[in-house]
Amino acid sequence: MTAVVLDGIVEGLGFGLLGVGLTLVYGLGGVLNLAYGEFAVLGAIVVTGVRDVGAPMPLAAAAGVAAAAAAATVLDLTAMRPVYRQSGDHRLLLGLLVTLGVAFLIEGLLDWRDPLGALIVIIGGKPIGIFGVPMGRGSVWGSVIALASGVALVGFFGATTFGRGIRSAMQDEVGARLIGISPSFARTVVFALSGALAGLVAVSSSMTSPLTVTQGFDLTTFALIVTVVGGLGSVTGAFLAGLLLGIVDTVCAYYIGQYITEVVLLGAAGLTILVRPRGLLGR
Amino acid sequence: MRGVAAGYLGEKVVEGIDLEVRAGEAVAIIGSNGAGKTTLFRAIAGLLPCAAGRVIFDEIDLTRLRAHRVAHAGVAYVPAERHLFPAMTVKTNLVLGAYPHRPHPETLELVFKLFPRLKERMRQRAGTLSGGEQQMLAVSRALMARPKLLMLDEPTSGLAPKIAKAAFGALERLKATGVTLLIAEQQVPLALSVADRGYVLENGRIRLEGTAKELAHNPEVRRAYLGVA
Repeated sequence: MTAVVLDGIVEGLGFGLLGVGLTLVYGLGGVLNLAYGEFAVLGAIVVTGVRDVGAPMPLAAAAGVAAAAAAATVLDLTAMRPVYRQSGDHRLLLGLLVTLGVAFLIEGLLDWRDPLGALIVIIGGKPIGIFGVPMGRGSVWGSVIALASGVALVGFFGATTFGRGIRSAMQDEVGARLIGISPSFARTVVFALSGALAGLVAVSSSMTSPLTVTQGFDLTTFALIVTVVGGLGSVTGAFLAGLLLGIVDTVCAYYIGQYITEVVLLGAAGLTILVRPRGLLGR
Repeated sequence: MRGVAAGYLGEKVVEGIDLEVRAGEAVAIIGSNGAGKTTLFRAIAGLLPCAAGRVIFDEIDLTRLRAHRVAHAGVAYVPAERHLFPAMTVKTNLVLGAYPHRPHPETLELVFKLFPRLKERMRQRAGTLSGGEQQMLAVSRALMARPKLLMLDEPTSGLAPKIAKAAFGALERLKATGVTLLIAEQQVPLALSVADRGYVLENGRIRLEGTAKELAHNPEVRRAYLGVA
């Protein structure tokens, strides 16, 4: 049982890191970025490419994260502009269509150029014993990356002037403009941050299992579930939801079967909407 | 500002507005509901584009600037709906008011002197404050930026008469600190009690202007806004 829960925590931290990038963009821009998972895949392919030409792994990982962030920034500055000119439901719907189109575009391109592309990062060394359970070094490293990113994000949004400014724009856009914050600049920063997080997810998740070019939509789906359960725009909520869902996922897989897990996770999201529409920590 | 016009979806709500506020002055814009006071303020603050005319502030042309740039230029606008950050504490709201700078200790002291109540509520979330306290916080958040011009839209909206009176008492003290004020208000007697000069806005145009004293004695103003026959 301990081993199953520990696996759940590892997976959950990954879920949290995955969800936080989507929830931030939704919290600030009112857009659900359906291309989010594709940014992770794009980052993964860049990592493999840079590594294949002989660069050391940390450099390749940094390049992958930077590439995903750059792709997200380009999307924010180009195709998303007409979306931001809309408000309310129109913005959400147009945002879904545009990002879905971008997702198809990225997936199609990658599938065409590199259909067998996959990122596997092998972390060597003996397993580390935690509560008497031997954990693979990849799992430990992946969790450390997720946890450190979570702490850094909470610090950024809680304690820095700019981070607080972005958070204020999530609560009241007009109020934020009146105190001198440009919402469009804040959006671009958050979009870039979300791309970087997707790239980071690609690196950290591939330490435990390979990430293939066809997984983009799966990642987006998981991120969506985490966003709903955690509450829109909440960093802590996303990690809390990720942990909860990760543990539920591994426990279900172990005691019932792998086939049931995705249904259970979607069920958890549905239940959240019924019981607590704003999520664990949402506004 | 000269010949300013603004509105929504091509419909002009205010037109041909000439208005002047001198440094250190308190100016009231009075007029009934729907006269265009809020539209005028939103246009000055950059929340709404000006369809015509120019807004010059301290030799800076604000006409085409977006709201956050207008704020950086030293104009603070407190809308009637306040637009606080409800899930943040009173303290964080105040700190953000000084964005992107750190809050100035002197300004914070001034705010607490004006509104001692806020000091007691520092750790409370803005969304849980009473209407009067929220109005105090909205004005205080605007003051944290040390603005040269403070624009208040209906500072008494949603307040009980007694609290509205107290709010204007605070504005009186605020004016004494030398801040330039532009106030839109339906409660004309209160507005004229603080203001040096005033403009009467009717159907999107300026109908009358003068010193507060002149307006208070003007028969038209007395009949329309002061309830005197």
